[in-house]
Amino acid sequence: MAEDIKLMKGNEAIAHAAIRYGVDGYFGYPITPQSEILETLMAEMPWEKTGMVVLQAESEVAAINMVYGGAGSGKKVMTSSSSPGVSLKQEGISYIAGAELPCLIVNVMRGGPGLGTIQPSQADYFQTVKGGGHGDYRLITLAPSSVQEMADFVGLGFDLAFKYNNPAIILADGIIGQMMEKVVLPPFHARRTEEEIIAQCPWAVQGRKGGRKSNIITSLELDPAKMEENNIRFQAKYRKIEENEVRHEEFQCEDADYLLIAFGSSARICQKVVEIARSEGIKLGLLRPITLWPFPTKVIAAYADKVKGMLSVELNAGQMVEDVRLAVNGKVRVEHFGRLGGIVFTPDEVLDALKEKLF
Amino acid sequence: MELNDIIKPENLVYEKPRLMNENPMHYCPGCSHGVIHKLIAEVIADMGLEDKTIGISPVGCAVFAYNYLDIDWIEAAHGRAPAIASAVKRLNPEKMVFTYQGDGDLAAIGTAETIHAANRGENIVIVFVNNAIYGMTGGQMAPTTLEGMPTATCPYGRNIALNGYPLKIGDLLAQLEGTCLVTRQSVQTAAAVRKAKKMLRKAFENAMAGKGTSVVEFVSTCSSGWKMTPEKANKWMEENMFPFYPLGDLKNVE
Repeated sequence: MAEDIKLMKGNEAIAHAAIRYGVDGYFGYPITPQSEILETLMAEMPWEKTGMVVLQAESEVAAINMVYGGAGSGKKVMTSSSSPGVSLKQEGISYIAGAELPCLIVNVMRGGPGLGTIQPSQADYFQTVKGGGHGDYRLITLAPSSVQEMADFVGLGFDLAFKYNNPAIILADGIIGQMMEKVVLPPFHARRTEEEIIAQCPWAVQGRKGGRKSNIITSLELDPAKMEENNIRFQAKYRKIEENEVRHEEFQCEDADYLLIAFGSSARICQKVVEIARSEGIKLGLLRPITLWPFPTKVIAAYADKVKGMLSVELNAGQMVEDVRLAVNGKVRVEHFGRLGGIVFTPDEVLDALKEKLF
Repeated sequence: MELNDIIKPENLVYEKPRLMNENPMHYCPGCSHGVIHKLIAEVIADMGLEDKTIGISPVGCAVFAYNYLDIDWIEAAHGRAPAIASAVKRLNPEKMVFTYQGDGDLAAIGTAETIHAANRGENIVIVFVNNAIYGMTGGQMAPTTLEGMPTATCPYGRNIALNGYPLKIGDLLAQLEGTCLVTRQSVQTAAAVRKAKKMLRKAFENAMAGKGTSVVEFVSTCSSGWKMTPEKANKWMEENMFPFYPLGDLKNVE
């Protein structure tokens, strides 16, 4: 059978993938440029097809707390928003991380700070990979650079979230959310039954069936010795994720003299930059982190011995560049190029920046 | 001789609710929370709902409610319990889901979540403990603090010009189409406790029957925060709280 190829926006792909993946609940609040996720879900009426709950919450704050509750009952639940709305969700995200619950969050980034603009940006990198909310926690961060990856990362995000009992986030931007591309949607998975949820998540609040002990979902622990133990357990989990779950993609890096490091929509533009540079005889490659946390530190460090310089290309004032510099630890020159506030760079601008900053 | 040999079931007039465990409560002497916890434990046991009940505990004095009642619990962020309960109930429609919230949690930081959950007619019970003060943090002004009532953050008494009016959130919730029961109760006398239990059970029945949101407000004391003896606090509540927050059903849709 031929593959069922569809043409749709990245936001729509997220919605369709969620229904097909067997997600139990979506809770969201409209904000540009990601409202199509909620709109598509409402139009598809998945509650009639799979039993999936879709609810427009009164705020982003309520939506992330609905996710906290749903995740606490062992369900596959998700929310989506864009930058200002994701700022509002940070309290809830910290609670979810502190209670070690699995869920999926989607941020289709727009320019900030403040109300900013509705145009695409990658300026929430720090917020996403360095914490965002209060306390020492981490989010498994997936950065899609195509509509196909928007669809694929719904399943991957949930798989990783449930593997580690930790929230996962798809960090996209307005370009990936709004652009239309070909996509092959994932096959339909049935939603889990209550028995399957109890077997997979024995910690879930489902009522004390069979007189078992109470399940309590909380991030509260007033005894500092125990709270330190909790934190040490979280950190051990994070080290395990860093060890096992790094994902990246290389594009003509093999013989490269210079490397572009870029994620998401920036990486798409940088593919063209590599093409133009190569036509000029410049041996340029592109390394695309797919997981922003855990960051592909080791692979970037290995290239530090092989190349003359790296340019971190981001739609922000220089955020991921800090992690690239930490990775190479001074072994090679690392510069940043970006455009701000919703402006997207052209391939020529990136190539000019490379020559100006690294040649 | 065993206890069961002394007390025959037919002679038993009172026992500790079986869902209340042995953990020593952190509540102050005279506090209303202990009695309200007991009523919830009794109603869940009486209705045989312990294998399907999920409680959402607040931030405030009842933050540790989950330590005392042997049911499943989610501990909420401050004010967010109704949003959490909404999702748990919608995703698990056959379960019994209730929130337990104080006045700061429900009527200040969580006003939006409370009103919207009730306005959607979520099939949950909201247990609202209104003692007109922030107990846990040391007696600061609450949205329900009475005019002239002194607290740590209005030491000369609540001044309307400065702090606005005490919020009758029960009356507000009774106006919403989504609520089926909004009742104001108290637990300072045996008669009041019996009446409150009846209404609490009605609320739980409504939730299981899918009738909409039920709100049971308990006008309560906080002897520590009010800086009174438990006995004096009960008297003060009757003389000052009841006139402003009159007991009875604000709404009871059959």
